[in-house]
Amino acid sequence: MGENVVFAVLWVVFSVLGEIGDRVIIRHNPMYYIVSNQGQLALQAFNFLLVVLTPVFVFVVLFLVFTMVRFTTKRGEMPPANKRFAIDNKAFVLVWVGGSIALNLLFFLHPTTSAMEQMFALDQPAANTHDLVVDVTARQWQWIFSYPQYGLTQTLTPNGQNLLELPVNVPVKFVLRSYDPYHTYDQYADVIHSFWVPAFGIKEDVIPGETRYEYLTPTAITSYAVNPMVRVQCAEVCGPGHPWMESPLAVVSDQQFAQWVKAQKALANG
Amino acid sequence: MAHAMTVPESGHAPRPRKAPMPPVLRAFLWAAIGFLLLNTFVIAVDPFRGHPFVTGPSVVFGWVGAAIGWLLGIGLYDAVLLPLMGFPTRWQERQQGWRRYWEFATDHKVIGLQYMMFAVGGFLIAGGIAMLMRYELMTPYLTIFHYPSNYLTAVGIHGTLMMFSFATVFMIGGLGNYFVPLMIGARETVLSKLSGIGVWLVPVGILTVLFSPLLGEWSTGWRGYEPLAGQDANGILFYYLGVLALTMSSLIVALNLVATVMFRRAPGLTWGRLPLFVWGQVTVNLLMLIWFPEIQTTFVMALLDKVVPLNFFTATGSPLTYLMLFWLFGHPEVYIIAVPAFAIWNEIIPVMAQKSLFGRQWAVIGLVFVMMLSGLVWAHHMFTNLRNSEILPFSFFTEMISIPTGFAYMSAIGTLWKSKVRLNTPMLWILMSMFNFLIGGLTGVFLADPIVNLQLHDTFWVVGHFHYTIIGSMVFSGFGAIYYWLPKLSGRTFNETWGKTLAIITFLAFNLTFSQFFLLGLHGMNRWVPAYPAYLQPMNFEVSIFAFILGAAFLGNILYIGYCWRNGAQAGENPWGAKTPEWFTSSPAPRYNFPVQPEIVGSLYLYGEGTKVPVVTTALGELAATSRATQDPQFDWHDYAPDGGGVTS
Repeated sequence: MGENVVFAVLWVVFSVLGEIGDRVIIRHNPMYYIVSNQGQLALQAFNFLLVVLTPVFVFVVLFLVFTMVRFTTKRGEMPPANKRFAIDNKAFVLVWVGGSIALNLLFFLHPTTSAMEQMFALDQPAANTHDLVVDVTARQWQWIFSYPQYGLTQTLTPNGQNLLELPVNVPVKFVLRSYDPYHTYDQYADVIHSFWVPAFGIKEDVIPGETRYEYLTPTAITSYAVNPMVRVQCAEVCGPGHPWMESPLAVVSDQQFAQWVKAQKALANG
Repeated sequence: MAHAMTVPESGHAPRPRKAPMPPVLRAFLWAAIGFLLLNTFVIAVDPFRGHPFVTGPSVVFGWVGAAIGWLLGIGLYDAVLLPLMGFPTRWQERQQGWRRYWEFATDHKVIGLQYMMFAVGGFLIAGGIAMLMRYELMTPYLTIFHYPSNYLTAVGIHGTLMMFSFATVFMIGGLGNYFVPLMIGARETVLSKLSGIGVWLVPVGILTVLFSPLLGEWSTGWRGYEPLAGQDANGILFYYLGVLALTMSSLIVALNLVATVMFRRAPGLTWGRLPLFVWGQVTVNLLMLIWFPEIQTTFVMALLDKVVPLNFFTATGSPLTYLMLFWLFGHPEVYIIAVPAFAIWNEIIPVMAQKSLFGRQWAVIGLVFVMMLSGLVWAHHMFTNLRNSEILPFSFFTEMISIPTGFAYMSAIGTLWKSKVRLNTPMLWILMSMFNFLIGGLTGVFLADPIVNLQLHDTFWVVGHFHYTIIGSMVFSGFGAIYYWLPKLSGRTFNETWGKTLAIITFLAFNLTFSQFFLLGLHGMNRWVPAYPAYLQPMNFEVSIFAFILGAAFLGNILYIGYCWRNGAQAGENPWGAKTPEWFTSSPAPRYNFPVQPEIVGSLYLYGEGTKVPVVTTALGELAATSRATQDPQFDWHDYAPDGGGVTS
């Protein structure tokens, strides 16, 4: 009976308290606001890591506090010198090294590989059904959205901002390109941007000279007015206009989307 | 070897004619001359020259001229070139007084303090810039920075100076230069003249980066991403050149320290007995020797890309090339910063606990494996732009590197378990460092997971993560190390109440500042923005308040250490009861460190019953007593040491 038992009991107690705290955090959504299937994958992975890492965090922090409380001399006193000290403890080393290897292998299998498999599967033909294709063009400093299936080349709000509007629960394929259609002498003289909707839980860089894809399904009717995380935001520094390279976004019902397409067509045709 | 040490130890020799001006002043003058010469030459021969006297190409050559002039003026001419060519020189190394820190020196302790001095200068400048950034971020719109370019330039200077003139420099150029020779029982470093010149590249680099806005804004941050850098004004040239100077200085440190550890260890100091701190230095020095030439090559290419231009990195289809080359160096760089801190933990803990270091071999294996794996994780900085097929391997190694990193914790925990440790100021800083790095490491596990990374990448979560890892490891351990070695550095000590109070204030301010970065990141705060959506303002406002307190706390610590350096109470020769060789000589150590060559006869990390004093200074003492050191100006201790020159008696 001694430090080992006290420490083990405290570790268990505080780990349980920590796990209860995790449940509260998870209930309130640690990523604040997530409304896409991709974002759900990220959120689940985040929560899993949070739950598994809590006992590790508690172990080290408890140890540091325990050291300060139990393993210290009084001020000005020297530690005792008449002892023999262990410099090895095979069981402890085995548990520590084996445990950290096991934990990391676990993390690599789940959530790392399992979530990536689900993400990669979205561009397989079975899932990639082209229900809605949105061409996203990033230029310094603007997002331009076009809907080739509906003949819309640039969708705007009434006051001229570029607007991304998506129907809820429809898989979207974003086609991401970085070039400047207005610089006809050198369209590709642009830089790396990053297409990020915080509420969708994913970002992909948009690279000049490359065409990249992102697949997701919005899962709730929402908009920038509902939550400011529902916005398109450039996440990679792209020059002085970077802070304002953002666009409002609205996720709407199918009917509203159809109406919106009509209205945009009318707007485009003058 | 004897001819290398023609400087007599005492100042009896007649001092030659005094130099007409202090070396630093002369260095500035010669730098100005060098700049004007080369700049004017380039302008004169440039067939495309326009009206300005300083153009992009001319400033590059002018800078090279200024750097050469600076080094010649500071001592390269007097102290190295003239003797090398066989000409008489009036240079004589100053042995005491504050002026020797503002001159060329060959004493590794003076050089170490010069590195620390410049590094702290860089820290204060870059920290001041951080305060301006936090002031800007108190509001969601532009205030003190009139354009985003100004803010982005400030971010770039902050990051560049912190990384290259402080984080890489303080513990390696500073503490490494000062303590590695002392801890291996060496009396000097192998490349002491080169080292003495190299330190003067640090102010060159700091001033170059600091004054980069003179040539115009640059918006890329410390990473210099292409093709954005290709659009920047010429300010980016001074980023490349400043970093070139700073990395060159650190490269010289690495070369010198590795050579010194290989060739100048005291008799009996086998690799198996090498102090932990020295292991940490050797591993990061090897990392620097591998990766610094790589980034220097990249920066030279980027520079040519800009001034010629060559379009290595800006051509359509190749914007990722630069990113790859940058992070290939960039990730080892953060381990260059963090590994010495892991080593410091296990250096100080056994001393303060007077308890044998637990699992010493694991602590060393951890450092070595972190070093080796650090070159295999770099593309995790590119999960958002990498091919899908390349994500998983890099994620794998990124997760695995936490295993050897954990060994530092394992040794520390094993040592502290059931110990009776003195919870004094250095020890407190070390425990705080372990706490902060734990948070940095665990938040890194989230970032190593690609699906989570795709959400958190380029947000304030990442900013919080790397400030926790770098400040948490390097800065907190650095303060711990300075308080620990203050009696060695100055012969004086500090007041525990003051030391602990300052440590606790710093710890609280640091955690209150940077823990909220994680929440900001999760809530949608992206990086490199002086203006942001208004819903993020309340938390940013309070973060800024804590950041100002943190800045004041760092400043308070630095001032207090400076105060104790001069006015602290006298410390004993070995106040902590440590066993490493640096404590077996007077404090501060004399010019050649040890009066006689010490011999190492036991482990440096064993304490308690039945252990012996591992450093013996009497074995060769008799030899020294009759030595010609006092009479012979050509005296070279190598001729007397068992491992030097092969002459034992």
